[in-house]
Amino acid sequence: MRGQTLRPYLLIMPSLAFLLLLFFVPLVQTVALAFSTTTGTGVGNFVQMLDDLDFRDSVRNTFGLVLCVVPLQLLAALGMSMMLRHVRWGRDIILWIWTIPLGISDLAAGLVWLAILTDKGYLNTILFEVGVISGPQSWLTYETPGALFLAILTAEFWRATAIVFVVLVAGVQLIPREYEEAASVFGATAWQRFRRVTLPLLRPSIQTALILRTVLAFEAFAVVLAVGGRNFPVLVSQAYLWQFTNQNYNVAACYAVLVTLVSLAATLVILIALRPRAGESA
Amino acid sequence: MADIRIESVTKYYGSQAALRGVSLDVHNGEFVALLGPSGCGKTTLLRAVAGLDRQTNGRIEIGGRDVSDLPPRSRGLAMVFQNYAVFPHLRVRDNIAFGLLMTGTAKDRIERQVARAAALMHIEALLDRYPVQLSGGQRQRVAVARALAVEPAVLLMDEPLSNLDALLRLEMRTELKAVLASARTTTLYVTHDQTEAMGLADRIAIMHEGRIEQIGSPLEIYRQPKSIFVGGFIGNPPMNFLRLPVSGSVVRLGTLILNPPAGINGPVMLGIRPEDLEVAETGAGFAFRVHVPEPLGPHILLTGDVEGQSMRVAVAPDRVMQPGDVVMLRPNTARLSWMNPDTGLALENS
Ligand SMILES: Nc1ncnc2c1ncn2[C@@H]1O[C@H](COP(=O)(O)OP(=O)(O)O)[C@@H](O)[C@H]1O
Ligand SMILES: [Mg+2]
Repeated sequence: MRGQTLRPYLLIMPSLAFLLLLFFVPLVQTVALAFSTTTGTGVGNFVQMLDDLDFRDSVRNTFGLVLCVVPLQLLAALGMSMMLRHVRWGRDIILWIWTIPLGISDLAAGLVWLAILTDKGYLNTILFEVGVISGPQSWLTYETPGALFLAILTAEFWRATAIVFVVLVAGVQLIPREYEEAASVFGATAWQRFRRVTLPLLRPSIQTALILRTVLAFEAFAVVLAVGGRNFPVLVSQAYLWQFTNQNYNVAACYAVLVTLVSLAATLVILIALRPRAGESA
Repeated sequence: MADIRIESVTKYYGSQAALRGVSLDVHNGEFVALLGPSGCGKTTLLRAVAGLDRQTNGRIEIGGRDVSDLPPRSRGLAMVFQNYAVFPHLRVRDNIAFGLLMTGTAKDRIERQVARAAALMHIEALLDRYPVQLSGGQRQRVAVARALAVEPAVLLMDEPLSNLDALLRLEMRTELKAVLASARTTTLYVTHDQTEAMGLADRIAIMHEGRIEQIGSPLEIYRQPKSIFVGGFIGNPPMNFLRLPVSGSVVRLGTLILNPPAGINGPVMLGIRPEDLEVAETGAGFAFRVHVPEPLGPHILLTGDVEGQSMRVAVAPDRVMQPGDVVMLRPNTARLSWMNPDTGLALENS
């Protein structure tokens, strides 16, 4: 009897231990690191982070990227999953192609876009061949912040829209067709059906996709580093810089703590904004 | 108010035919039930009328207008779905208002219509609830109220009562009949439950394998089935069929001499309803051997055989029957049906 009640816990134990060891321990260590200074415990490292020349830029870039790319990805993924519902032939192939970026590592994706967008890249070559430009153009430099931002936005959009799409497609498939049919019988146009029926019913999936995507967008690193290098600092790349280039683990930990807090806050905002209304679900 | 005219409608799913040429007129204000076994094409026909699926061939007119190529929302109809399809994210009030809202109805009119439909279906107290807070029967009422609120010219219902328990079904059936009779809405009602069809409909269309086998008033369908299928489908228990030889233009059954329609050679199928038989104490009759007697209250249902052919009989509950008993039976000769055993179709009395 005793063995019976213990067994589930014994089976769960390894996964708990794994998580605790590899998540909570580093988390606690990071926080400890962030607050430990040469003179004891304090906020000195955070002050140093705030004084970092690239701190403001990295905050601005991070939020700018997240606030632009996530809504765009949500819109695109919604559009894609709606279109896919009307496809009969080749649905699987379209699905497969649309989700290819899921299988590509961040860094590889970044390098692909770097190859396209550098001054000797494919885009330059093509534009030169068709005569749009007369010589190589640089888009990824400090002097062209707009183009650089657009390039990183494009790369990140290409790389990570699929994850939003996959979550939404799964959600769309869970909605019985009858609801939309009922709506169309009762006079709803295609837009009204989407706006009044599909979108509200998709809210749990949208919530999941947004949280997942927003958290990952705050942590976007490899693509940003590959395409933007030092010209486009973000919070995570600053953490990397302080850790490995400046070898100041304390300030790096401050950046890491900041990213964690920002992700948590974003998750909370999305959870609250898209929470089910009272009584709507049992 | 509008009539529905269905002309030679076919529907193929790939090479498989779901409708094989269906024609049906539902008159203005009439209640027609589509009745048939599962898979006979009832839902397919209803969805074609609603515009949710396009028929392969044929025309569908509503109110004299060819709607074959119109989307559902332009057809001026309302529908009650088998699983209700009550929107889970909307309160009952907004569910009922949905159709009116989509067509841009004025706010005060929407309120009046919602209140009226809710009153008709006795769900005034539920207006501020969400569907998850309702029972199956209550959701069903919301689905009907949503359809009634738009005051549709045509109302389509696909097995609206099939998910309710027996008692609730009976109650809703009675209520539906009262509500729809007073609204005089043209109604096409799909069901596989003959009691429902008989109880509700002005006319019943019996469907079988993608065709309408017979259409008529409930009593006509019951009394004069046009085929062995209809006779065997309608009635509980269904009509008995005996395969009997014709000799000298008469059919002998025990000491009975029956007259089939003239000019028949070879065997015929004689259809007799279980309740159209009585025990013959004296006079002509045929011998029926009881296998299983089931006292059901209003009558005793006897399952047995006549000259080796199985038969069910409903007799008055005033006698005790044992398995193995042999009783003499006599049919009500005014209620006999004669069928061609090869085509399965009724033989006309000429
Ligand atoms: N979407 C579909 N694809 C292929 N076959 C279908 C489809 N819908 C219905 N059918 C077939 O058409 C026939 C009629 O179905 P249906 O109209 O749903 O029957 P009923 O409502 O009378 O039970 C069935 O044989 C069913 O298998
Ligand atoms: Mg059906």
